[in-house]
Amino acid sequence: MQATASVPRRERRRGSKEGRSALLRAIGALRNQRRSATIAYGALVVATLAQLMVPLLVQNIINSVTDGAVANSILSIENPIVRNLAIGALGQQTGQTAEQLQLASQNAESWMLQTALVIVLFTIVRGAFSFVQAYMAEATSQGVAFDFRNAIFTKLQRLSFSYYDRNQTGQLMIRATDDVEKVRLFIAQGLVLTVQALLLLAATLIILFLTNWRLTLVVLPILPIALVLFMSFGAISQPLFRGVQKRLSRLNTILQENLAGIRVVKAFTREPHEQANFDKSADDLFSQQLSVTRIFMFLFPVIFLVAQIGQAAILYFSSAQILDNTLTLGEYQQFTLYLAYVFFPIGQLGFIITLMAQAAASADRIYEILDARSEVSNKPDAVTLPPMEGRVELDNVTFRYFGGSDPVLKDVSFTAEPGQTIALLGATGSGKSTIINLIPRFYDVSEGVVRIDGYDVRDVTLDSLRSQIGIVLQETNLFGGTIRDNIAFGRPDATLEEVTEAAKAAAAHDFIMSFPEGYETPVGERGTSLSGGQKQRIAIARALLLNPRLLILDDSTSAVDLVTEARIQAALDRLMEGRTSIVIAQRITTVLKADQIIVLDKGQVAAIGKHADLMENSAIYAEIYNSQLVDDAAPEGQG
Amino acid sequence: MMGLDNRRGLLDSETSKPQNLGQTLARFSRYFRRFWSGVLVAVVFVFISTWAQVTAPELIGQAVDCYLFQPQANAQMMQMMQAGGDEAATAQTAATSNCWYTADDASSIEARIQADDSIPEDEKGAAMTAAKLAGIGGLTLLLLGLFILAAAMQGMAFYAMAWSGQNVLRDLRKELFRQIHRLSLGYFVRNEAGGVMSRITNDTDTIQQVFNFALLSVFSGALLIVWIAVRMLQANWIYALISLTVVPAMAVATVYFSTQARRAFRIARQEIGSVNADLQESIAGAREVQAFNREEASIAGFRDTNAANRDANVRAAAFTSALNPVLEALGFIALTIVVVTGGLSVLRNEPLLGVGAVVSLGTIIAFIQYVQRFNQPIQQIAVLWTNIQNAIAGGERIFVLLDEQPDITEKPTARELPPIEGHVTYENVWAEYKPGEPVLKDISFSAEPGQMVAVVGPTGAGKTTIVNLLPRFYDVSGGAVRIDGHDVRDVTVASLRSQIGLVLQDTFLFSDTVINNIRYGRLDATDEEVIAAAKIVAADSFIEKLPDGYQTVLGERGSGLSQGQRQLIAIARVALMNPRLLILDEATSSVDTRTERIIQAAFEKLLAGRTSFVIAHRLSTIRSADLLLVLENGQIVERGTHDSLLQAEGAYYDLYMSQFRYEEPAPGDETPQPAGD
Repeated sequence: MQATASVPRRERRRGSKEGRSALLRAIGALRNQRRSATIAYGALVVATLAQLMVPLLVQNIINSVTDGAVANSILSIENPIVRNLAIGALGQQTGQTAEQLQLASQNAESWMLQTALVIVLFTIVRGAFSFVQAYMAEATSQGVAFDFRNAIFTKLQRLSFSYYDRNQTGQLMIRATDDVEKVRLFIAQGLVLTVQALLLLAATLIILFLTNWRLTLVVLPILPIALVLFMSFGAISQPLFRGVQKRLSRLNTILQENLAGIRVVKAFTREPHEQANFDKSADDLFSQQLSVTRIFMFLFPVIFLVAQIGQAAILYFSSAQILDNTLTLGEYQQFTLYLAYVFFPIGQLGFIITLMAQAAASADRIYEILDARSEVSNKPDAVTLPPMEGRVELDNVTFRYFGGSDPVLKDVSFTAEPGQTIALLGATGSGKSTIINLIPRFYDVSEGVVRIDGYDVRDVTLDSLRSQIGIVLQETNLFGGTIRDNIAFGRPDATLEEVTEAAKAAAAHDFIMSFPEGYETPVGERGTSLSGGQKQRIAIARALLLNPRLLILDDSTSAVDLVTEARIQAALDRLMEGRTSIVIAQRITTVLKADQIIVLDKGQVAAIGKHADLMENSAIYAEIYNSQLVDDAAPEGQG
Repeated sequence: MMGLDNRRGLLDSETSKPQNLGQTLARFSRYFRRFWSGVLVAVVFVFISTWAQVTAPELIGQAVDCYLFQPQANAQMMQMMQAGGDEAATAQTAATSNCWYTADDASSIEARIQADDSIPEDEKGAAMTAAKLAGIGGLTLLLLGLFILAAAMQGMAFYAMAWSGQNVLRDLRKELFRQIHRLSLGYFVRNEAGGVMSRITNDTDTIQQVFNFALLSVFSGALLIVWIAVRMLQANWIYALISLTVVPAMAVATVYFSTQARRAFRIARQEIGSVNADLQESIAGAREVQAFNREEASIAGFRDTNAANRDANVRAAAFTSALNPVLEALGFIALTIVVVTGGLSVLRNEPLLGVGAVVSLGTIIAFIQYVQRFNQPIQQIAVLWTNIQNAIAGGERIFVLLDEQPDITEKPTARELPPIEGHVTYENVWAEYKPGEPVLKDISFSAEPGQMVAVVGPTGAGKTTIVNLLPRFYDVSGGAVRIDGHDVRDVTVASLRSQIGLVLQDTFLFSDTVINNIRYGRLDATDEEVIAAAKIVAADSFIEKLPDGYQTVLGERGSGLSQGQRQLIAIARVALMNPRLLILDEATSSVDTRTERIIQAAFEKLLAGRTSFVIAHRLSTIRSADLLLVLENGQIVERGTHDSLLQAEGAYYDLYMSQFRYEEPAPGDETPQPAGD
C-alpha cells in the first residue's frame, strides 16, 4: 500500500475544454433548484428594467423643474411688452406657445411632485426586486453547493480503498470545500452577473441607438478596448498573484518548520541560519508583492480612465449637436447616465471571466470525484452471507493494484478453519496488508477467489460480509461524537452495559473513566484528542462489541508506555480467543500460539506451518523471527 | 489540511475586537516612521486626486454654463435690458453668474464675431458655433487632463502606500520570526503552535490587506465625502443640509446590515467548520466507515450538518442581499429630495425654509452629481472598516507575542563554555512548568565523562524534563546543573547547545534534501563528510535507494520516509555534529522492527566514548547503562546499575517485572546486525 501512494495520480490538470464542459454540467445542477433559480432570474429582469427607467424619470423631473422655472421667470416679468418678447423668443426656440407656458408654470409643481412619487415608487420596486434577486441567487447557489457536497460525500463513502490509496485526504478535502465554494460563487455571482450585465448592456445600447445613434457610434469603439483591458487585467494579474501565493507558502513553510522543529533549531543553535533563510524569503515576497502593486497601480486607474474618456468624448460631441440644435441638454444628461450602464456591465464581465476560469477548473475537479467508479460494489444478484462459521479460504489469489502493474500477491492459497489463529509474517511490502484487505473485500482479487464458509466474497452483499468481520488496525480513526458512540460504531444499538463491558475487556475502561464525562466524552475532530494507545484500545473495544466470528488485526502497538503496551496486548489476546483470527503478527506470543503461520516473501507464500516446524524448516522464518518480532511486554512470554 | 486550519484561525480572529486602540495605533505608527515618505506621498496624492474628482463634474457644468446655454439667456437678457427693470437684474444673477471657467464665454464670442466685419454676415452663425466648439474642445482636453491626473495620482498614491505598508510588514514578519527564536521552549509548551502560526500568517495577512488597500481607500473615501459636503455647504448651506439628511440614514443602514450579516456569518462559519470536520473524519476514516458498514448513517449525518450550513448561509444572505438595494434606494431618495426641494425653491423663487439663498438651476444639477457620489465611498468604508478593525485586533495579538519575554536569557556576564569533557552534575535540582507544581524534586546525581545515564519511569515522571535542563531548554527553579563544573546558566547558550547532540523520539526533518537535513548538524560539512556520517549510523543503504539518493527532497516533516528512516537521518545529523554530550529519547513504538535494530546499532555507535543521557525504553540500553535513574513523580526513587537494582528487589524490580520485556536471548541481539532494508 505504501508503494501505491507514490504511483503518479491521474493527470490533474486537464484541458480547459473539459473544464468548460464540467462548468456547463455544474450549471445544469441548477435543475434541482428550479424554483429559487426561476425567482432569482425573474426578479433580475424586473430589477434591471426598473433600473433602465431611472434616467428617463430623472430627466422628466429635471425637465419639469426647468420648464417650470423658465416659464415662471418669463411670466413673472411685469412689463407685458418685455414678457411677450420673451415668450416670442422662447417660442422661436422651443415652439412653445403662451398657453403652454402658462400651463407649464401652473402645473410645474404638481408635475414635479408626481414624478418624484413615481421615482420613489420605482425605487421601492427596484429595491425589492434586487433584494429578491440577490437573496434567491444566494439561496440557489447554497442549494447547489449543498447538493454537490452531499454527492461528493456519498460518493466518497462508497469509493473503494484503491481510490483512497491514490488520493490524499487533503486533496479530497479541498475538492469538497474550496472547489465547491468556487463553483458556488460562480453560480451565485458570476452567472447572475453575466445575465444581468448582458441584459443591461443590450438594453442600454438599444436605447442609446434609438435616442441618438450618432453619439452611440462615438462610444462604440471604446467598448471593445474596455473589454480587452478588463480581460488582460485578469490575465496579467493571475500569474502574478500565483507568484505571491507561492512565495507566501514558502515563507509559511519555513515558519511552520521552525515552530514544529523549534527544539531541533535550538538544539543545533541554528537560529542565524534559519533567520537568514526567512529573511531571504520575506525579501522575495516583498519584491513580488511590489511588482504586483506596480501592475495594479497602472491597470486599476486605467480601467476607470477608459470610462471617463468615454464621458469626455460624449461631452464634446454632444456639445456639437447641442450647438446645432439637434440635441437638448436634457437628452445629453440622459445619455451620460445611460453611458454608465454600458461601462458598468463591461467591468462586471471582465471580473466574471476570471471567476469563470477558476470555477471551470474547480468543476472539473469535482466531477472527477463524482465520475469516479467504485471498483468494489454489490453484484446485482448478490446474496446475504448467512451467519458466519469462520472458515476463510484463499484460493490461488493474485492481486495487482493496477491493471498492468507487478502483482503484489502471487498465487496465495491457504485455509483458516473456524476458530483458528493465522499469523501473517513477512517483510514490509511482502503483501500482509493486502491479504487482510481482500477478506472484507476492500479490494477485489485480480485472479483466484477469496471464500468465506464456501461463499465467494464477491457473491455476497458487502453489508452482510463486513458486518460479520471485526477489524483492528494499528492506526485508528475516531469519529465525531462521544467515546460511547465510537465504541458502538459497528453496533449503534448497543446498551451502555455492553459498551462498558467491551471497554473493560479492552483495558479502556480506566482511562475512559478518568475523563470527567466518562463514556460521554466527545472525541474526534471537535472533541478531546486521545493518544495513539487510547485510540487503539477504543478500536479493540469496538471490535469486541461486534463479537464477530472473524477477526482481522494488526497486533503491533502504537507509541505507548510499557504498562499500557502490556495491557493492550492482553486485550488483544482476549479478543482473539475463540474466533477465527487473521493477524499481521509483530509479537512472539502471537506466532507461538498461532495455528498456522503464513510466511510471505515478495507476495508469495514462502512457508506455512507451526512455529516449531518452521524454525527447523524455513530459513526465512527463522530470520524474521530473530530480527523482526518483538518480545512480549508480559512476563509469560519467557521461554 | 493547512488551509482548513488557517480558516479556523481566521474564524477566531474575526470575532475579536481591538482592546487597546490608541496604544496599538501608536505602535503601528512607530513602524511607519522609517517609511514616512511613502505615507506622505500617498496622502498628498490622494488630496490631489480627490480635488480632481470633485472638480471634474464642475468642469462639465462649465461647458453648459459657459458655452451651451448662455445664448438664450443672453438673448432674453438683451431684450429685457432694453426694457430695463429689477426683474432683469434678478434673472441675470440666476442665468449668467455660473461661468467662471473662461472670460471668453458664449456671450463674448458672439459679441466678438458680431463686431468682426471681416466675416461675412451669413457665415457669422457658423463661425460662432465653430468658436464655441473650439472652446468646448479646450475644456474637454482640460477635463481629460484632469481625469488622467486623478488616475495617475490615485495609482501612485496606492503604490506609495503599498511600498510603506509592505516594508513595515516585512519588518514585522522578520521581527516575529526572531521572536520565535528568542522565546524559550516553555512558551511553546504553554501556547499551541497553531496559535503562534496564526499570528504570523493570518494576522499579518489581514494587516497586509489593510496596509495595501483598505487604509487608503477609507481615507480617500472619507476625504471625498467631506470635500463634497463642504462644497455643497458653500454653495447653499440650507439646501445642502436638507440634501444630506439621507447620508446618516445610509450610514445607519450600512452599520445595521453589516453588523447583522457579520453575526449571521459567524454562525455560518461555525457550521462550515462542522461540515469540514465531518468531511475530514469521513475521508480520513473512510476505510473504517466501510469496514463497519456505516456508510448510510454517515451520509445521513453529513446531510444534516450540510443542511445546517446551507440554512445558516442563506440566513446570512438575507442581510447581505438587503444592504445594496437599501443603499441604492436611499440614493434615489436622496436624488428625489435634491430635485424636489431644489425645484420648489426654484419654482417659488424663495429660499428653502425661509433661510439662505434661493436655489439656482445649476446648483440642482451639481447637487444631483454630488449626491450620487456619496453612495460608493460609504459602502466601501463600511466593508473596509471591518478589515481595519480586524487588522488592529490582529496587530494587538502580534504585539502581545512580540512583548513576550523569554524565560531563559543569557547573563550579561555569560562566558563561552570551553570544549566539554563530559562531567555532568545535577545538584538538588528542582523544576516546574507552572509555579507551585514541581515536576522535578531535589534531583542530584553526577555522570563521569564517557558514562551513560539511563532514565526510566512511567509517563509523566519527569524523564524528559531532566534531559531538557541540560541544553537549557528550561531553567531549574532550584539547585544547579553543571557541565565540567560550569553552571549552564553562566555560559552562553550557543556555546552550550552547539556541544550537545539531541535525538528526539519524534524526529523533525525539514522539507529539504536528505543531504541538507543531515548537514543541519554542521553547516560547513562537505558532501563527503555528510555521507561518511550517514555510513557510520548505517543510514547510507536506505538513502542510496531513495529516488534521488542524498538529493531526494523530503516532503513536509520528512513525509515519504518511515518513522525509523527519519530517525536514522536524525542520528546521522548528530553523528556529523560529533558532540561531546548526547541526549537520546528512545522511540517507544514497535513499528518496523528491522529498522529499529539498525537504529539501536546506530545509537550504540554514537554513544561510544561520549557522556550520554538516554530516556530508555529498550532493555538492551538499560542493561548497558552505567547509571540507572528510576524516576517516579519527579523524584529519584532508586539509582544504580541494572544488576544491582534487580538484586535490591525495590521499585526498579517491580517496574521491570511489570513493564520491561524479557529479553529473548536471540542471536544477533547483543550485536545487532545493521541489516539492509
